[in-house]
Amino acid sequence: MSEDGLLYFDYAAATPLSDVALRAMRPYFSEKFFNPSSPYAPAIQVHREYEAAKHELAVAIGGKADDIVVTAGATESINLAMTAAGGGHIVTSAIEHHAVLHAARRHDVSIVDVPRSGIVDAQAIRQAIRSDTQLVSIALANNELGTIQPLRDIATVIEAERLARRNRGDKTPLWFHSDASQGVGQIDINVARLGVDLITINAAKCYGPKQVALLWRKPGVALTPLVYGGGQELGLRSGTENVAGTIGFAAALTDASQKRKSESKRLGDLRDLFEQLLVEGNDPLQVTIPGKKRLPGSLHVMIPGVDAERLIFLLETKGVFVATGSACAANSGTRSHVLTAIGLTDAEADGSLRITLGRHSTEAQVRRGAEAIIDAVRSEIERVRK
Amino acid sequence: MTRVFVGMSGGVDSSVTAALLVEQGYDVTGVYMKNWSQDLPGMKCPWAEDLADAKRVAVGLGIDFRVFDFETEYRERVVQYMIDEYKLGRTPNPDIMCNQEVKFKLFLDVALENGADMIATGHYARTHDGTLLRAKDENKDQTYFLYRVTEDALRKTLFPLGDYTKAEVRAMAQERGLWTASKKESMGVCFVGQVGMRDFLSQYVETVPGDIIDRDSGETVGRHDGAIFYTLGQRHGLDLGGGLPYYVVDKNMDENIVYVSRNLNAEEMWLSTIELNNIHWIDRTPENGAQVQARIRHRAPLVPAVLEGSRLVLDEAQRAVTSGQSVVIYDGDVVLGGGVVIS
Repeated sequence: MSEDGLLYFDYAAATPLSDVALRAMRPYFSEKFFNPSSPYAPAIQVHREYEAAKHELAVAIGGKADDIVVTAGATESINLAMTAAGGGHIVTSAIEHHAVLHAARRHDVSIVDVPRSGIVDAQAIRQAIRSDTQLVSIALANNELGTIQPLRDIATVIEAERLARRNRGDKTPLWFHSDASQGVGQIDINVARLGVDLITINAAKCYGPKQVALLWRKPGVALTPLVYGGGQELGLRSGTENVAGTIGFAAALTDASQKRKSESKRLGDLRDLFEQLLVEGNDPLQVTIPGKKRLPGSLHVMIPGVDAERLIFLLETKGVFVATGSACAANSGTRSHVLTAIGLTDAEADGSLRITLGRHSTEAQVRRGAEAIIDAVRSEIERVRK
Repeated sequence: MTRVFVGMSGGVDSSVTAALLVEQGYDVTGVYMKNWSQDLPGMKCPWAEDLADAKRVAVGLGIDFRVFDFETEYRERVVQYMIDEYKLGRTPNPDIMCNQEVKFKLFLDVALENGADMIATGHYARTHDGTLLRAKDENKDQTYFLYRVTEDALRKTLFPLGDYTKAEVRAMAQERGLWTASKKESMGVCFVGQVGMRDFLSQYVETVPGDIIDRDSGETVGRHDGAIFYTLGQRHGLDLGGGLPYYVVDKNMDENIVYVSRNLNAEEMWLSTIELNNIHWIDRTPENGAQVQARIRHRAPLVPAVLEGSRLVLDEAQRAVTSGQSVVIYDGDVVLGGGVVIS
């Protein structure tokens, strides 16, 4: 990575490809270009290496390779997951990613409100589940706020509903899906411990290539393909396998899993430092959701009355890159639905910054980044006063 | 300090306009006029990108930035006018209407209500004491589009680019490191690219295919997909096979017929007396019989003419003067005004 000069604080949007992943992928663009479905030895070798990569992905989440479908990105994985609802009802929350909300809206869906804490209430999910509900989808961690969702509690609610259905002889299935893209490399993504039946993991958020993701589902979960053709991925995702992408994904995910514990601690400390520097340096700045129930690398702040998009344009000229959920032109003038859902005022949402740290973040970067943000906020406040 | 609201479209011209005004010591606020945001078939409307570009430049200059939402008014006053005119078989100029109704009326009014003393735009034109004058850059001069602006509006308007050439403006943008310095020029009507007009109109107007008839032989030489799409003098898009090119010489909207001719000098195509209506004079009304110069379309050369009431007698006949289009009348550098061609 040659990003040392850049003060990049938007790892929730994109992570740079790791050297490990890049090295692993490289041969599959050149000498190992074969189609894994071809009958001769070198192609069969590529097929085996592809299967080994899927096994590696499975190990990282505590599942089996045969239960994994590799997709072109997390959005496709999520769309495929939604087919587990069959013709039934879906329950999801108002702070889910657009990939979930828009895919779910193609079904009969209930969207539960989320309180100011940014954390979905398992009891609200319980109340939203109907007798024809077949899928609940809640992200492991929110992509804007970084809040970690109580998947275990929701899994318990779902298990209780399943039991009730069994007791009354109702065979309607009920599955629990989670998009865990944001948590990878920071918190546990073991499917059994999370209590989920389907999980989406995105290579692009864990230092792997873009447009590669997986959907794991428990045996017995029936999915309907979105893409038809040669019958690859057990018929659930036709098309020649993305061998290089999958191998890079596996290398990146294994790497991220191995580094998780130490990295999580390191990021948490850096985030706390960033937060402390910003709060001390800025009178009107508030942490949107303080506390421990956040991803270690996530920090969301608001400076009501300041136009966050202006801050972003000021900061980019200093090589500092952060995100915002404001009604900025970049997202066609629509305020983030997540910030609106948890009840932020327009001024709070428009003055909000999302700062996310990652593998290449250092204390020196955090200090310089905080200083740049403090300066930018100060100059904006002064400009508005004048 | 004079407060100026400058219309910033996200292009290089209005970016330099804002920069110059800041340097000249004005209290500047950048304004993006959101006139249109709808995507068209096969064409993404670039408004969000343009807005972000404009805002980036404004932030870089350290000035206030606002968005004025004129979508409703733009639709009512510019787009509807354009559609209505096409339906009548005429060739309207929405840019002229946009300047008359939106930029130099609505924008001016809202700017003044919000504390501005003046407005500014990146048009290549000059103004002095309520008079509109041609730009220094003859090739970029945009006064053709501005002849319906009022004297009152001009008195409250600055055109900082009027004394520069386009090349100089680009150079100034580069020197200042403006984000938009190398941005490509946008083409045609602000919301429909030149090629998009047909697609755009088909969304709003029911069109019926009809015959293309050779005016000279009386023969049907082809079919068209709606007479409104054709403009007098037009050569392209007729798709009538080989041989000498055909030109549109007339349309019959009632019978949905497009008349063409291979004769470049077909009489219908040449006009030496132009009847105008909707005449607008900016700050002085020329006398009957005044010797003036006329421009029959943007960038067309100025041609000497004599004004006789609402009639303009050209020294030399001009080709393809189309009903609905504007003729702008000049006295040297001064834009007197102009009118819309009826015949």
